[in-house]
Parts: sequence; structure tokens; C-alpha cells
Amino acid sequence: MASFARSSLLRQTLAAPRSPFCKNVGVSQTVAFHASAKKQILPPLPQSVQGTMNDPAPVPETHPTHGSYHWSFERLVSVGLIPLTIAPFAAGSLNPVMDAVLCSLIVAHSHIGFQAAIVDYFPPQRVPKFRSLCNWLLRAFTLTTAVGLYEFETNDVGITEALRRMWTA
Amino acid sequence: MASLRTTSRLFAASRPMFRPAFARTYATVEPTPSENPKMKTFKVYRWNPDQPSEKPQMASYDLDLNKTGPMMLDALIRIKNELDPTLTFRRSCREGICGSCAMNIDGVNTLACLCRIPTDTKSESRIYPLPHTYVVKDLVPDLTHFYKQYKSIKPYLQRDTPTEDGLEFRQSPEDRKKLDGLYECILCACCSTSCPSYWWNSEEYLGPAILLQSFRWLADSRDEKTLERKAALDNSMSVYRCHTILNCTRTCPKGLNPGRAIAEVKKMLAV
Repeated sequence: MASFARSSLLRQTLAAPRSPFCKNVGVSQTVAFHASAKKQILPPLPQSVQGTMNDPAPVPETHPTHGSYHWSFERLVSVGLIPLTIAPFAAGSLNPVMDAVLCSLIVAHSHIGFQAAIVDYFPPQRVPKFRSLCNWLLRAFTLTTAVGLYEFETNDVGITEALRRMWTA
Repeated sequence: MASLRTTSRLFAASRPMFRPAFARTYATVEPTPSENPKMKTFKVYRWNPDQPSEKPQMASYDLDLNKTGPMMLDALIRIKNELDPTLTFRRSCREGICGSCAMNIDGVNTLACLCRIPTDTKSESRIYPLPHTYVVKDLVPDLTHFYKQYKSIKPYLQRDTPTEDGLEFRQSPEDRKKLDGLYECILCACCSTSCPSYWWNSEEYLGPAILLQSFRWLADSRDEKTLERKAALDNSMSVYRCHTILNCTRTCPKGLNPGRAIAEVKKMLAV
């Protein structure tokens, strides 16, 4: 099936000039396929097969903190954000505790979201340094956001009141 | 199938009831002179591993739809028989049960044998191998890693305790019903190769087809290794690279729902 499994005899047969029938019938014409730029971002590597063809793919270690617990936490945060976003405006009252919970959930939600993007697009086998750089950048931004929101909540009006003022301005 | 059926009905009266064995006919339609040929252009991805320095090309073939069977596979077989014998593709059952002829036809991953040729002769049909796969030749993708991943989920009944009467492992009709929509999967890899997450992370992410099979064994009432199966999936890459894009469900040529199966796997892991 794979290219290396093919016999050399078949290879010779295939190497013969493509289709003598085409010239007679005159229906086959080939057009250039590639119109893409020469420099690709992360071009695919040549194929590599770990072990033999009959070995199963390696099974990763169990990490519930990166797997099921992480997913459940992420879903809870996402679901929790819906009522928390609506509640302060629907109730019409300002509550510093609600504001604090809303802010921390927003920070956690955006951190998990950006983290998923990094895990998706920067594989550690391929770009280990750039991946860790992205992870540290994300942590720095999350921390900055958290500190900024804390300052805004303690020294200023807080995001709920700020949004309300912007809405009615 | 329309043209084939009408011709066979026309000649049915003049035919003997039992044909001798040597006169067996094939699925290709007899070349009958047609006044209004319905010529359609097929553009097919071609790449020859024996000329690796040559870039992949789109070869163009014109077929008369009146003389071709109704499905894309009929067109491909006719191109190979009559126009270009070097065209390479996999096919076996021609009825959508083997999964060999999975390819990208007019931008959709599907089985060539289940895909009708669009009767609009003005627009051309474009046929590519399954996207984001290593191509062996022309329309033949290398599914080695896909099969290795399938093997890694241990797709067989794992059970230590024998039944009370020593006969087969039985299950209730309700438990059997849970496997409907899962056991029909033929592992054609249409869904996995349509998944952007699988494009980026096929090394570690299992992909919709394998996860559907995972759920098929998680949902089986007779299987006793559910905890081990769940532990093997409980990491950041195997399942959770699924972002519910649902290309898998949209493209499945068998009409299955791998997206739902992955959601059920996530629910089983979460509880």
C-alpha cells in the first residue's frame, strides 16, 4: 500500500511515458497545479511512521487535569458566564462580589480559549520554543488583565457600571 | 443508472431468459451511437511517485455521460479503461460498503461509488485525493497512520468473565440499540480527513472516525474494559482537540454522526 511496499517491476511499468492513448484520443491535457507561494508557514514534514506498519499508534499517558477535568471546568466557566453577564443588568443592582466573580470567570475563559489555540496550532514536536514563548506570553497577558481588572474594580467604578454608562451615554 | 436501465429494458424482450456464463456483462454501458453526446469534463489530480520532481497536476478528461454509468466511480473506471490506463485509484465493492474509493469530489469528501455525476455538463467535476493525506499515487492516499490509530484503541471486545451458561455474550435489545449508528462505520476516513483539527494534529488527535469507533466500544454493554478505554482517552490530545466543527457529520457518506459520538465520549469522560 505504501510507496515503499511496491515492487520494482511495477515501478518500471509505471515509469513508462504516461498513457499512449491520450495522444490518440486527444482528451488529456495537464495544467499546472501549484499556484502557491514558495515560502509556506510550517510546511508539512515528510511522512514518518513510528515503529512498523502493524504497531498501534502510541497511547498517551492519562492526564485528567489536561483532559476531562480541564474540559469540565471550561464548560462550567462558559455556562456560568451566561447568567453572570446578564444578571447585573437584569437585576439593575451593583454588587462587588458579582463583579469579582464575573471578572475572574472572564479571565479564566479567555485564558483557556487562547491556550486551546496555542495547543492546536503550535505542536511541541515542531516548534517547542515558540510554543513555550506563546504560553509565557499568554500567562503574562492573563496576569496583566487580571491585575488591570482588579485595579479597575477597586479604584474605579468596575466593569458592570462602566458598561452601563457606555450603554446609556 | 437511468441510461443503463432503459437500454437493458429495450433489449430485454430479445434476450434469452438464462444467459450462458461466458456472456457475462460488466457494469459499463455498451457504446451506442448517440446523436446528442453529453460531454462532461473531469479534472483529476495526478501525481506519479516515480517522477518525484514533477509537481502534481490536474489532468482533464472528457466523457460522454450517455455512455457512462451514473456514479463518479463509473466515470473513473471508464477513464481508466478507455482514456488513460495509468490513472490510479482504489475501488472494490462499488456499492458503498468497503470504503476504498473515498476521495474528494467537487470539494466534498465522499465515496466515488455513492456520488452521482452532476448532470450539468457545463461545469467540470474536480476529483482530488482525500485532503491533507500523504499521497501514494494519483488518488490513492496513505492511510497507515489512520489504521495505526484505529489499532491503538483496541477495537475488539475485551472481557474476562465468562457468561453463566458458557454460551455467547448476550445483550438486551435496548443495549444493542445503542450501537446503531456506530457499527455501520466503514472506516473510509472521509470524516477524519475533512476535520481541520485532524489536519493540524493528526499525529496525536485520533480524529472523528477513530473516536466514533472508540465510542462504539465504550457503549457496548458486553465490554468490561470501559475504565481502561476511558483512561486511554483522558489527555489533552486524543479527544479534546475536537472543537465541534462538525465537518465530519456533514461529509459522512454513510450518513452517520461522528460529531455526536465524540460529544458522548466527552460526556462519558466528564461524569
